[in-house]
Amino acid sequence: MDFSFTPEEEAFRLELRSWLEENLPEGWVDGGSNLEKDSKEYELFLRDWQRKLHDGGWAAIAWPEKYGGKNASLMQEIVYHQEMVRVGAPPLVNYVGLHMVAPTLMHIGTEEQREKYIEKILTGEEVWCQGYSEPNAGSDVAAIQTAAVKQGDKWIINGQKVWTSFGHMADKCFLVTRTNKFEKKHKGITCFLLDMHQEGVETVPIIQMDGEHDFNEVYLNDAIATDAEIVGEVDEGWRVIIALLMHERTGIGAQVFTLEKQFNELVELAKTLKEDGVPVIEKQMVRKNMVDLYMKSRGSLLNYYRNLTKALKNGQPGAEGSMDKLLVSELTKELFANSISLQGHQGVLWKEDAVAKDSYWQDQYLYSFGQTIGGGTSEIQKNTIAERILGLPKDMGR
Amino acid sequence: MDFSLSEEQEMFRNYVRKSLADFEGTQVARKYLVGDVNALTEAQASLTELGCPSLNIPEQYDGMGLGALDLVPIYEEAGAVLLPGLMLETWSFASPLIQKYGTDQQKQDFLPKIASGEITFSIAWLEPESSYRPAGVQVTAQGGKLNGKKILVPDAAIADYFIVVARSTEGREEAGVSLVIMPASDASIQPQLNIDSTRKVAAVVLNEVAFDQSQLLGEVDQGWSALQEGLLSFNAALSSMIVGSLDRIVTTVTDYANIREQFGQPIGRFQAIKHRIVEMKMDLETARSLAHYANWAYETHAEDRVQAVFSARIFCTDAFNRVAAHSVQIHGGIGFTEELDCHLYVKRARFYENYLGSTEQYYEETAKALGW
Repeated sequence: MDFSFTPEEEAFRLELRSWLEENLPEGWVDGGSNLEKDSKEYELFLRDWQRKLHDGGWAAIAWPEKYGGKNASLMQEIVYHQEMVRVGAPPLVNYVGLHMVAPTLMHIGTEEQREKYIEKILTGEEVWCQGYSEPNAGSDVAAIQTAAVKQGDKWIINGQKVWTSFGHMADKCFLVTRTNKFEKKHKGITCFLLDMHQEGVETVPIIQMDGEHDFNEVYLNDAIATDAEIVGEVDEGWRVIIALLMHERTGIGAQVFTLEKQFNELVELAKTLKEDGVPVIEKQMVRKNMVDLYMKSRGSLLNYYRNLTKALKNGQPGAEGSMDKLLVSELTKELFANSISLQGHQGVLWKEDAVAKDSYWQDQYLYSFGQTIGGGTSEIQKNTIAERILGLPKDMGR
Repeated sequence: MDFSLSEEQEMFRNYVRKSLADFEGTQVARKYLVGDVNALTEAQASLTELGCPSLNIPEQYDGMGLGALDLVPIYEEAGAVLLPGLMLETWSFASPLIQKYGTDQQKQDFLPKIASGEITFSIAWLEPESSYRPAGVQVTAQGGKLNGKKILVPDAAIADYFIVVARSTEGREEAGVSLVIMPASDASIQPQLNIDSTRKVAAVVLNEVAFDQSQLLGEVDQGWSALQEGLLSFNAALSSMIVGSLDRIVTTVTDYANIREQFGQPIGRFQAIKHRIVEMKMDLETARSLAHYANWAYETHAEDRVQAVFSARIFCTDAFNRVAAHSVQIHGGIGFTEELDCHLYVKRARFYENYLGSTEQYYEETAKALGW
């Protein structure tokens, strides 16, 4: 048992740390900026940040060198996430492109597609979104109805996508469509690399319960794609979807480290926030809840390290990632729910009237509800764990 | 980064598992429950043959000179079958305390005999209408005599020695408490009925029981801090014992959900069942991570050892009660019977909940260790 990082890993950490000290954008303080999140300025700010990361060689460290990456090891990726979380770096506007689309293209794209898209994903010139969910296909992704029909040498696409993060900023969409109706709904799906800047694509904002706008509806009315924009084979898109999910190998690590940081921030809140002149951390109920959060968040970090150890030994992550996702997302919700409770009657005060940290806790509390839904609901994670890890039978109908 | 037990430790686990397999699951516990100690004696002999009691004892006292982490697989395997007896109390409480606070004479007297499996220790701490707090210790160790009554002394009837927590100077504070090593034969033992009969408890009446300086473990009046040190080792070990039980429950319940059919299909297909089992599995894995880390932190004197160990204990005891209860529910009617093992785990879980320290106290100790 050994929780230390090797000298090489520590050197890598220092290299990144000093780069971040030099390059974290001005106006980015303590994990946030003054820019309105739903503004063009913010989008440009995020694009600049991605460009800067790329210039420094830090945009896609896990990629092979020939595509502009550092061929980073799993452990280097862990260090990377730790440092990014530590300094509260701005989000990656092209997360979908960097972590999902590009690795998939490297794996199963054509040479032409690699040349056309990968470089621009890396530089942030082209931002990507994911076109998966639909009004009638949430957890049941294979139930998608958005149709792509071949007419001459073009594909004509009609349908609607929802919950499309970055959709309003995106230049390209990794779009999942139905091209054929077979008895098995996993068959007959085709993935396209769709251009968002065309007449047949309309993006409509969705305002979430936290008042923010990350999500969009994307309407496809006779949107056009070509054969060259198909990933993998026609009607065999399900395989591509699965392959794409596999490439998301360490994203959960970032969430685990974020949770650890948020817990420490909550401890500070509980120490500084006073009720009748007494820090709330001295209240019996708060202490108990905080110890609960301490052991559970430690537990999730240690589980992650244990699963990581397995992945290091096997050369690739296993199904345990779904346990990490379930734990961390549920725990994040619990943490922010507690953060509101411990503010007592003032917990409901919002925005400029919130008692602490510019409404951070209220905003994060509301945002946290999305954690156990996005990227596979907790219920879907539980099915995965039950079936793939415990070996319990699949539901009827799947 | 390597958060796993070593190959040697996993290999040792296999030996222990094979050795305990001869005793057919919870049979040793079931026999002990009805007063048959022979099966336990045999199971212990086979663990002794593997060298289990000597693992964490220094070589100069006939031990193997290994540490807390090396005991983890043994406790996990013992916990799986709810092995009765005083392993935790002897190997992970008395032994580390004697190693740290014992005189040379005490080390020579006791450690080799622990290593060879000849002697066991129990702990006489609680008193009628008291708690685990210092104020609760009112049995006196004064003028060379022990006087008073201890209750809930674990497996007193099979112990060779008691570590008695007693008051050498009157008061209600930590100072003034001493630890006395006392031969079990010196006391009068009155069995108490316990919901978990696989761990028997008794009242121990001390009536002018003579002791001398050589029986004091650590400095006179300074027993409380020694006790805390012993509890660190003990609770790390206890956490691992519980992990073994959790692991066995999850395996058993998963097997059952795969086999048991209702409405023409295995019940494990229903999400109401499946999701509950996943929650049990999550508890198990978190418990395992916390327990492994607690033993590592204890063994390596990590800065966060106190909060690591005590929070592992809270999580594990709590999870044990949750998971054992879920297991009864998932098994349905048959889970409610004496025939299946479900109830044995429920009862053991309750036994450990407030064993050698209360959940409430460990919450507070953890908060304090975190600087709150």
